[in-house]
Amino acid sequence: MERNSGQYGIVLDVDLSKGTIEKMPVSDSDLKNFLGGRGLGMKLLWDKINKPGIDPYGPDNVICFMPGPFSGLPIPSSSRTCVVCKSPRTSPVNKKYEHSSTVSYANMGGFFGPEVKFAGYDGIVVTGKASSPVYLEIEDDKVAIKSAVSWWGMGTDSFDKLLIEKYGNDFQSCYIGPGGENMVSYASVLNTSARAAGRGGVGAVMGSKNLKAIIVRGTGQPNVAKHKMYLDLLEKTRKSFRENNEGVIDWRSGGTTNALQWSSDNGTMAVRNYREGTFEEIEKINTKSSREQIWKRDFACFSCQLACKKSGFAKGAYGGMVHDGPEYETGTMLGANLLISDLAGLQKMIYICDDYGLDIITTGGVLGFLMEAKEKGMIDAAFLDGIDLKWGEVDPCISMIHKIARKEGIGKLAAEGVKALSEKIGQGSDEFAIHVKGHELAAWNINPNPERMMVTYATANRGACHLNSSNPERQNSSALQDSLGACSFASDWYHDEISYRNFIEAITGVEQTDEEFDRIGERIFNLEKMFNAREGFDRTDDRVPERFFNDAQTYGKGKGVLATRDDFKNWMDKYYAERGWDLITSHPNPDKLKQLGLEFTLQ
Amino acid sequence: MKVTNRRDFIRMLAIGGGGMILIGKYRFLFASEPVEGILQAIVVDYDKCAGCKTCETVCSAFHHTVVINGETLNGLGNPKLGNIRVNHYNPDVDVPAVCSNCPNTPCVNACPSSPDERTGYGAIYRDKGTQTIKTNHELCLQCGSCSRACASDGAGVIVMSKENYPSHICDHCGGDPQCVKYCPYGALAFHNVDVQSTYFGMSAKEIAEKLFDKYYAN
Repeated sequence: MERNSGQYGIVLDVDLSKGTIEKMPVSDSDLKNFLGGRGLGMKLLWDKINKPGIDPYGPDNVICFMPGPFSGLPIPSSSRTCVVCKSPRTSPVNKKYEHSSTVSYANMGGFFGPEVKFAGYDGIVVTGKASSPVYLEIEDDKVAIKSAVSWWGMGTDSFDKLLIEKYGNDFQSCYIGPGGENMVSYASVLNTSARAAGRGGVGAVMGSKNLKAIIVRGTGQPNVAKHKMYLDLLEKTRKSFRENNEGVIDWRSGGTTNALQWSSDNGTMAVRNYREGTFEEIEKINTKSSREQIWKRDFACFSCQLACKKSGFAKGAYGGMVHDGPEYETGTMLGANLLISDLAGLQKMIYICDDYGLDIITTGGVLGFLMEAKEKGMIDAAFLDGIDLKWGEVDPCISMIHKIARKEGIGKLAAEGVKALSEKIGQGSDEFAIHVKGHELAAWNINPNPERMMVTYATANRGACHLNSSNPERQNSSALQDSLGACSFASDWYHDEISYRNFIEAITGVEQTDEEFDRIGERIFNLEKMFNAREGFDRTDDRVPERFFNDAQTYGKGKGVLATRDDFKNWMDKYYAERGWDLITSHPNPDKLKQLGLEFTLQ
Repeated sequence: MKVTNRRDFIRMLAIGGGGMILIGKYRFLFASEPVEGILQAIVVDYDKCAGCKTCETVCSAFHHTVVINGETLNGLGNPKLGNIRVNHYNPDVDVPAVCSNCPNTPCVNACPSSPDERTGYGAIYRDKGTQTIKTNHELCLQCGSCSRACASDGAGVIVMSKENYPSHICDHCGGDPQCVKYCPYGALAFHNVDVQSTYFGMSAKEIAEKLFDKYYAN
C-alpha cells in the first residue's frame, strides 16, 4: 500500500453523523501541488465544501488535522500540525449568505502531527456531527469512534494528565476544553495541554461536532523517494544547527518571550487595547523576570533543537500550577494590552485560558476592548454582570474569562468577539474594536509600521493574522512552510543546499525549479482567497480598524506616527497589482488562476 | 548502609560484590557476580532533556538500516523502534529510559532458558566482549521473564517485541552511541555505570515523580 513517495496518498475520512470511517485517496497531483498542512487542508476543504454559505457549526463543515510531508521524519523543527476548516469567526461587511465566512487555519507544534504520519495518514478529515460527545481513537489501521461523554467538561490540563495515565507515552492527542465544547467562537485545539492551534475558532468547530479529542498511535513511518539524498540533507541540517548555534541559544533562552522587551522598546507592541505601543512595566514580565521568577525548564517539540517552550511554576496566590509562562503573544495580549504586569497573575490567566481551550490572542483583545469601553463610559459594571474590569487588574479578568468559557451572562456575547460586542454596544465603539473581518489582531501593533502591518492584517485570508506578512512573496513562502509541517521559527537554518525544495525532492522524488516550488505557496494563498471570494468577501473587507487612522501613540518610539486612509488605499493598490488581483474586487484575475492551475475555482 | 527500600537493597547488593544469595520478601534468588571489565551505559542528565526525541530517531536509524543499490544506509529513524524511549509527563518533565546496564543483571538472572553449552550464554546475557546485554533468539522461550525483571528491579526498558522477543536493549552502537552524539541538549553521556547515582535503576515514572518534586514543589 505504501508508495515510495514520502506521502501515503491517504487521509482518514471520518463522518461523525453517519459514524463512518474511510481511507480517502488523495491524488498525486494534489500532493504535489498542495503538499500537506495548510495547503492540502485548503484543497480538501474546497473539494468537500463545494458551495458557499454553509454553517461553520453545522455538520457540513469540514475540519482537517494536517501534518505535512516533513512530519514523521526527524527533520529539525518539523512538528507542526495545521488545523483547517471554514471559520466560525469571520464575516464580510456585506453578507452574501447568512453564514458567509473565510477559511480558517491554525497551527500548533508538539507531537501530534508526526504521530498521524506514523499511523499511516497524510491527514484526518472530520465532517458531520456526533449525537453525543465522542473521541477518535486511532491505532495504525484500527480506528474507532468512542464515547467521550465522561470526559466532556474536563479542562485540558486534567484531561491531558488523564490521557497519559490511560494511554501511556505511546499515544499522542489533540483536544478541546470546555471553551470548544461550549462553542466559544475563539476556542482553540490543544496538544500537550499547552501547544495550541489557537486562532480562528478551530476548537469551536471541533466542539460543534461533539468531538472532544483525537488520540493516535502509529508504529510506521513514511518512506522517502531519495533515501541517500535525504540522509545527506539531514546530516547537513544538523551540522548547520550545531555550527550556527547563536540563534539556537537565543530561542532556548527565552523563545518568543524575548520579543516582549524589544517590541515594547520599539513601540510595536499592543498596549492598552492598541492605543499605545510601549509598555512602561515591561521589565516585570520580560524574559529576565520569567527566567528568575517562574520558568523552571525548557521544552522542545518533536525533533526540535530550539526548545522555545518553557514550564513555569509560581508561588503565592496565583501560583501552584505548572504551565508555560508568558510568550510574546500571550504575554502581550493578557499582559501589556491590559496593562497587567503581575507575572504570576499573568501566568495564571494563561493557564486558565489554555485549560478552557481559548485563543489567548482573542481573549486578550476582548478584555482590552471591554476595559476601554468601560473606561469611556459606554458600558458599566452592570453590563459586565458586576465585574469591575480595570486596566492592570488580574482578578476581574479571571472572572470574565470564566464567564466567557462557560458562556454565562455577558460571557455569551463576549464569546463572539469584539466585532459582536461593538455592534451591541454601539456609540462609536467600532473605532476601537480591533479586528479585521471579525478576527482580532495579534500582539503586534500597527503603528509605527503602518504600511507593513496594515497590509499584513488586511490581506490575511483567515482575518487579521500577524504571521501573514505584507509582501506577497513572503505570504506565499509562509503558506508553503505551513504546508510542510515545518516550523517558521527554524526557517533561518533552511537555505542554500538545505532548502525546503531539496528536502521535498528527497522525500517525494519531485524535481522542480525554485520557481515551480515557490508557486505552490502562491497557489495555496490564491485558493484560500478564492474560497473567501466565493463566500462573498471582496476589497471592502480588506480593511483595518479605524483606531489606526485616528490615534497616534502618545509616547515611546512609535509616538506620533499615523497613516492616512489614502496611504492605506495606495499600499493596497500596490499589493493587489503585485498579486495580479483585481483592484476593485480584490479577487484574483482569471489569468492568474490559470497560471496557478486553479481554473477549477472559476466554475 | 541501612536498607530502606528495594532500590537501596539492590544498590547495596551491587556495591557489596559477589557471593551473596538472598531469599526473602524479594521474590528472586540472586547471586551477584564480580564484574569483569568496566560497565558503561548511557547516562541521562534529566535536568537537560527537553523531550525532543532526537535520541529515539538516531538510535532507530542506526539499528534499522536499509540496503539501497547494494549500499547499507541508516534508516529513516522510526522513533518507535529506538532502544531509548522518551517518556513525557504532565506536569512537564521528559524522562528518557534506556538500559542502565545493571551490574546485577536482573534480566539475565530471570531468564529460564538453558545456556548454550559452548558459550555458556542463555537467551539473554552479558556479552563478555562488549559488556552489553545481548539476546539470542534461538534459545529464547519468549516468556517475558527478562522484561518483567527489568520492570520490577531495573529501569523497566525491556519490552517484548511484536514477535515476542526482548527488545529495546542498548548495545551502545558498538561504542559510539548515536543518541549521545546527536542529543541537541547535551542531556546524554556515555559513562561508567554508577549504581549510587540518584536515579539508577529507577523506572521512568519514579524518576518523573522525583523531578516533579524537584521543579514544581514550592
